[in-house]
Amino acid sequence: MQSSGLPTVFAVIEDEIDLNALLARITLVSTGAAAIFTGMVRGETKRGEERQTEYLEYEAYIPMAEEKMRQVADEIRAQWSAVEGIAIVQRIGMLYPKTPTVLIACTAAHRDTGVFEAARYGIDRLKEIVPIWKKEVSPDGGFWIEGEYAPKAGE
Amino acid sequence: MNRVKLLFFAALRERMGTRTLDLDLPAGLTVHGLKARFLDEYPEMSESMKSVLIAVNREYASDETLIPLNAEIGLFPPVSGG
Repeated sequence: MQSSGLPTVFAVIEDEIDLNALLARITLVSTGAAAIFTGMVRGETKRGEERQTEYLEYEAYIPMAEEKMRQVADEIRAQWSAVEGIAIVQRIGMLYPKTPTVLIACTAAHRDTGVFEAARYGIDRLKEIVPIWKKEVSPDGGFWIEGEYAPKAGE
Repeated sequence: MNRVKLLFFAALRERMGTRTLDLDLPAGLTVHGLKARFLDEYPEMSESMKSVLIAVNREYASDETLIPLNAEIGLFPPVSGG
């Protein structure tokens, strides 16, 4: 919980992402809308060079990742004051095609409060600063995917 | 001396063949100095260190960041979660 009393959930987990349980934790009596982004393992990639993925192997620097998820939530609240609850969850381990790997959900009283943009910012920011990595494994072998963003000191 | 704990992740962890390494550093060293010392001892890591991100006590650092006593120092590639 934030000092504001609004619910903030952030976690790196190995078990399945439970959308209903997370949604319940970030829904207040005043909540009327939730914007939810979830990403899953793509087995066939067509954009760019076409390729097949057998599975993804995720790894995290867990204590730092959870601190950075809290920071992302704080940044969302600083920009979208109407946001009520925030959930940021990353699943790690070996994950196969069609499996949800990440979930960002923001709730608000109404849908026209910036709640969609807030969730979009959450996933974009997670991909910039939260220390999590994925290795893509195909029948030809595996390679670590590297992001492009270089955080500044203290970011 | 300043004993610090290095933590490696993803491609750097695989290349090092270990998750953690304890290192004795002179007091007052910066991240830049740490990188130089580390590469002296592990020259085979030079390719992996080109794009490395460094976190000191779980906060992103720059080359000028001073390394505190008994710091936990994360070394890893640009992140790719999601």
